[in-house]
Amino acid sequence: MDLMPGADEHAIADAASAYLAGELPVARCHRPAPDRLAAEQLEMIGSLGWFGLSLAEAQGGVGLSPVEDVMLFREIGRYLAPVALLTTALAARVAALGGDDALAATLLTGKAKVALLVPEPADVAMWRVFDGTDAVYALAIDDESTLYPLDATAVKAIDCLDKTVSMGLLARAGMAAAVRLVDPTIMQHGTLAAAAMQVGAAEAELDMIVAYAKIRETFGRPIGAYQAVRHPCADMAVRCEAARSQLYAAAVALRDGHGDAAAQVDAAKLLANAAAVRNADSNIQLHGGIAVTMEHDAHLFMKRANLMAKLFGSDRALLDRLVDNRLAA
Amino acid sequence: MDLDFTPEDDQLRAEARAWLASNVPSTARPAESVAAGQYDRDWQRRLHEGGWAGLNWPREFGGRGFSAVQQMIWFEEATRAHAPAMNSMLIALMHGGPTLIARGSEEQKAFHLPRILTGEAVWCQGFSEPGAGSDLAAITTRGRVEGDVLVVDGQKMWTSFGHWADYQELLVRTDPESRRQKGLTWVICDMKLPGIEIRPVLSMSGEHHVNMVFYDNVRIPLANVVGDIGEGWSVAMSTLAFERGTAFLADQVELAHKIDALIALASKTRLENGRLAIEDDEIAHRLARVKADTMAIRSMTIAGFSRVARENVPGPEGSMLKLFVTTTYKALGELAADISGWAFFEYGDNRHTNRMTYDFMWSWVLTIAAGSSEIQREIIADRVLGLPRAR
Repeated sequence: MDLMPGADEHAIADAASAYLAGELPVARCHRPAPDRLAAEQLEMIGSLGWFGLSLAEAQGGVGLSPVEDVMLFREIGRYLAPVALLTTALAARVAALGGDDALAATLLTGKAKVALLVPEPADVAMWRVFDGTDAVYALAIDDESTLYPLDATAVKAIDCLDKTVSMGLLARAGMAAAVRLVDPTIMQHGTLAAAAMQVGAAEAELDMIVAYAKIRETFGRPIGAYQAVRHPCADMAVRCEAARSQLYAAAVALRDGHGDAAAQVDAAKLLANAAAVRNADSNIQLHGGIAVTMEHDAHLFMKRANLMAKLFGSDRALLDRLVDNRLAA
Repeated sequence: MDLDFTPEDDQLRAEARAWLASNVPSTARPAESVAAGQYDRDWQRRLHEGGWAGLNWPREFGGRGFSAVQQMIWFEEATRAHAPAMNSMLIALMHGGPTLIARGSEEQKAFHLPRILTGEAVWCQGFSEPGAGSDLAAITTRGRVEGDVLVVDGQKMWTSFGHWADYQELLVRTDPESRRQKGLTWVICDMKLPGIEIRPVLSMSGEHHVNMVFYDNVRIPLANVVGDIGEGWSVAMSTLAFERGTAFLADQVELAHKIDALIALASKTRLENGRLAIEDDEIAHRLARVKADTMAIRSMTIAGFSRVARENVPGPEGSMLKLFVTTTYKALGELAADISGWAFFEYGDNRHTNRMTYDFMWSWVLTIAAGSSEIQREIIADRVLGLPRAR
């Protein structure tokens, strides 16, 4: 019975953080095309094992578990690193478990980037596409997940609020599946990793305002000495603590195949969404005017938090599932 | 990281379940009264006879020396079996006893600890005053040394169960020149001493739970001082850190059962629009959110144990748990009010007439007592986040 990361788990996070700080720092989001991953970066990330961290060695993975996944993706969220890192890892899992070893190897080694396909509520003939730029495959996740070859030029690009992803629309007609896999745990892995990204973002937001509250002065005192600032910061810390603890519990439940793993993962994403979105709000509000400017980092986290709150389980979808799975039981 | 119980844990759970099945009283606790106090003592005596007293106390003092996980197992089983709560035994078991174990003399331990474990002695707390609530260090109740007695004059406030307690953990100012945390003394006060007057304070729930306690020339033997004269603050703090450790474990476990009971209620209660409450999207989503929060409470609780196991002392993270638990409790109360409709208003000024309505009001006790939410946020700002001091 232990829900605190140990030395091995911290080592995963530290290594990820070291790479991200050098190659994909948050500062890149103020430069053009922050959604892009250079081919060398993708391959380097493949060689670090990020796309197969929780996949069994027999399937070409690193042989670790969802627990290590959350340590990694929490850092990815903290650096606002591309969502395609998660989609590509999930696609590698689909290819490996679906029996396409060659495609799995391509994806695990970072030789191809994968876009995320989300059903378009207003038009059943279309996919909404995230990170289609430079992508060679596209993944749709449901109880049955489908991996398609992607013609990136067929994606109609649309400017996205969150510039760390590219967004577009794609006609479903004429797409032929490369791999199909009926496995509800694919979405659970995705939801868990997305929750980890939200927790990382929520922690980054807290760190940002705490650092500022110690140095920014108004009326002759640091703003961190005012209860009007201290108490919302404390609430941000509580949201992080709750979401992080539930994230770890969900990761262990998924790793060990507990009967309530699906509900634990949904609860983790629900708490993580709240932490990331509400901490983004408090971070901007407590910073004051400087945080509504383009040059500041605060809006980057607000935009990413709101996007990730819709991907891999929106609050509405999560609550519906919790009602069906838990409340009806 | 893991969520596994050891074979010994499973064995303990089986033992607890079996014992509880044949020992939980069939009668409910009477409404808040001396009879309720007797019920609490009787349950404690039964726990002691069954070997389940002082779960978190070291074995050498008659306890079981349970780890936090073992305590959680007990509370999970006790809640599942609808066993009585500690109620008026709580201060003795979770504050008074542990303080004596940490700081008491051999005589104090030998006299008091067995009486607590067997349910013979109920304790109450004498810390808060009308002018010293959140600002506990503002205590003005005086204690002056006269030969081998401490003479106490002043007033305490919010004394839960003071009207039937046998002893009180009493914090008084022994150095009249002192300010704030300095010059305080922690002393065991026999509640039967002459000069003590107890006046009831009715809670908004209609129950007599708390009291004002007045001290007029109350003469307490100096031998009852725990620690030394003037060391009261550090003695008191040894209990408060404890309070934020596992003292509220039972409440955390119970909360998970309350949400499940509310879900069951929502499945058979019709709203004013005729729909079953559970089929109303807004109600169902709020229930699911509180359910997720109770799952997170269990995770935070286990994360807290893990942290204490590594660092050996309860840290300020306990404040985050208290804030989250009490906020969730409040959301649960509001949801219960919404679901139960007019039945929410059917209340006869004691908990037995309507437990949900009572819990709704109790939620403010939780967010104010044992360090209000505002005080918890100050602790987090200072000790978790390291923000500049507000004071």
